[in-house]
Amino acid sequence: MTEKTILVADDETHILAVVSLKLRNAGFTVLTARDGQEALEMAQANQPDLLITDYHMPQLSGIELCQRLKQDPATAGIPAIMLTARGYQLEPADTEQSGILRMLSKPFSPRQLLTTVNEVLEQYPRVAA
Amino acid sequence: MRRGPVLLFICLLMLCGGIAALYTAPQIPIRGLQDVQLDRLICGSCFALAALTGMMGIVSFRVAAFKLARRVTALSVTDRKTLLDANHPDLAPLAFAINDLTEQARQFVERAKLRVKELEIQLKVATAERQHAESIIYSISDAVLVTDPFDELVLANESAARTFDFDVATASRKPVNQVLRDPKMIELIQEMRQSNSRSGRRIVEHQVRTPQGGRTFKVTLSCVSDGAAATATALPGAVPQPVLPTGVVAVLHDMTKEKEVAEMKNDFVSSVSHELRTPLASIKAYVEMLIDGEATDDKTQAEFYEVIQNEANRLSRLIDNILNISRIESGLTKVNKQPLSLMVIIKEALEVISPQAANKNITLKEALTPVFYQTLADRDMLYQAVLNLFSNAVKYTPEGGSITAETRVDEAKKIVITRISDTGVGIPPKDLPFVFDKFYRCEANNRMAKGTGLGLSLVKQIIEVVHKGRIFVESSVGKGSTFGFELKLAE
Repeated sequence: MTEKTILVADDETHILAVVSLKLRNAGFTVLTARDGQEALEMAQANQPDLLITDYHMPQLSGIELCQRLKQDPATAGIPAIMLTARGYQLEPADTEQSGILRMLSKPFSPRQLLTTVNEVLEQYPRVAA
Repeated sequence: MRRGPVLLFICLLMLCGGIAALYTAPQIPIRGLQDVQLDRLICGSCFALAALTGMMGIVSFRVAAFKLARRVTALSVTDRKTLLDANHPDLAPLAFAINDLTEQARQFVERAKLRVKELEIQLKVATAERQHAESIIYSISDAVLVTDPFDELVLANESAARTFDFDVATASRKPVNQVLRDPKMIELIQEMRQSNSRSGRRIVEHQVRTPQGGRTFKVTLSCVSDGAAATATALPGAVPQPVLPTGVVAVLHDMTKEKEVAEMKNDFVSSVSHELRTPLASIKAYVEMLIDGEATDDKTQAEFYEVIQNEANRLSRLIDNILNISRIESGLTKVNKQPLSLMVIIKEALEVISPQAANKNITLKEALTPVFYQTLADRDMLYQAVLNLFSNAVKYTPEGGSITAETRVDEAKKIVITRISDTGVGIPPKDLPFVFDKFYRCEANNRMAKGTGLGLSLVKQIIEVVHKGRIFVESSVGKGSTFGFELKLAE
C-alpha cells in the first residue's frame, strides 16, 4: 500500500508542528502550508489524499480554500477535515460545496484527529482526477 | 274690601229691583210727562244701574288682568325676591300659580347653572389631562403615531416626524398613507385596525429608512377602543355593548444602537473564545503527545515543554489584557493619578525591553524631555501602555532595525507628546483605522509576530479613557510605524 499524503494548513506554527508530527508518526507523508493561498498551490501541485485545514487563515480562509479546490476538477476529489476555534458547525451545504467531511473544534485531541483521518481515508478514498 | 262681589251684588240688586218695579209698581203717569209712567222709569233706571255696575266690574277686571300681564312680562327668573301681586282678588289664584311656576323655573335654572359649572370644571380637567398626555407623548424619545378608525393621523410626536420625515403641524387629520412614505408601516397600522384586537398588542421589528439612514425599530401596535363604552359594559348588570375600535397607537422604539451593542458583544465573545481556544489547543495537543510518548527524544520533549509554557503564558497575558480592558471600560479600575515624569517611565520600559531588542540586534534611541516636565497619571497603567508600544515596535521591526523614543513638550497647548518610532514593516493604510480595535490583527503582518490583538486596544483605553489623552499612529509600509500619545502637563 502506497503511503498516503496529507496536506496540513494552519497559520499557528505550533498546531502545524504537532499535527504534522502525529501524522508522520502514524506513517503518513505530511505537507504543510501556513496560509490558504500556499495550501491551494500545494494541493494543486501535489494532489494530496487528504486536506486538514484551519478555518481562519490569512490570504484565503479554510472554507474559501476548500471551495476553490472543489471547483477545480483536478482537486475536487480531495476530502477535507476542518479544524476550527470558532465553534463553527458543519452544515450539509459545506460538504456539498466545499468537500469538508468532518469538523473538529479546537482545542482538539491529536489522537481523535488521527482516528478521524483514518476514517475519512477509508470511507472517502481519493478519487483520481 | 273686594270690589268684584260688591259690584256683582249691586248689579243683581238693580236687576231684581227693575224686574220687581216692572210687575208691582202702579202705572202712575208723571205729571208734565204724559207719555212717561213712573213704573217704567224705575224699571229702566234699575236696569241701567245694573248695566253700569256690570260694565264697571268688567273694566275693573280687565285693568287688573292687564296689570298682571305686565308684571308677568316684567318678571325675571333671576330675581329671587320679586313675587307677583294679583292686584285683583279674582286674579290671585292665577298670580299664585304663576309665582309657583316662576319659583320652579328659578330652581331649574339654578340647577342648570350648577351643572354648567361642573361641566366647565370637567372640561378644564379633561383639557389639562389631554395637554399633560400630549406633553408626555411629545417629550418621549420613542416615535408615537395615533390614528383614528379612518386611518387618519390624530397625534404624532416630533420623534415620529423625524423618523418618517413629515411636518407635525400639517400632518394632523391627514390619512396615514399620505403622511407616511413607508408602505410597511401603513400596512401594519391598517392590519392592526382591521384586527380589532381589544386586548392584544403586536410587536414587530421594522427597518425604517429615516433621513439619518436605515434604522431598526421595535414597533408596538395596539388598538384604542372607546373607553366610555368599555367602562359601561364593565359595570355589573350592564348590557354588553359592542366596543368599536377608535384607532391604533404605534410606538416605535429605536433599537439600532442596542442591536449594534448586542452584535459587538457577540463579536467580542466570539473573538475571546477564538483567542482563548488557540493557545489552549496547542497546550492540549502537546500534553497529549507527551502522554502518548509521541515525543521520542529529549530534544523534542524539551521543545514540547517550552511550547506548553509559552502558550500557557500567552493564555495568561490574554486573560490579563481582557480583564484590564474590561475593568477600564466598566470604570472598575482603581486609578491612582500622581504627578510623574514620562521620561522616567520611558527609561524604565526601555530597560525592560532592551534584552528583546538586543536579541534582534535592534538599536534603541531616545530623545527625551527633562525630568521636570510632569504629567498627572497612574504610574502602573502608563508604564503598561509604554511597554506595550515598545513590545510591538520590537515585534514588528526586522533584525538590525532601530526604535526611537521621543518626548516633546508643547508649552502653548500644555501637553507632552510621546512618539515611539520604529523602522519596521509598517501597516497598510487599509488597516490603520482599525489597529486600536479589540482583536484586530493586521493580516499582512500576522506572520511577523504572535499577538492577542488586545495590546493596542489596552493602550488606547489607558491613554484616552483613563488619562483623557489622545493616541495616534502614523505608518508607511516597509519604512516603519510611529505610535504616540498626548497627555496634559501637570499644573
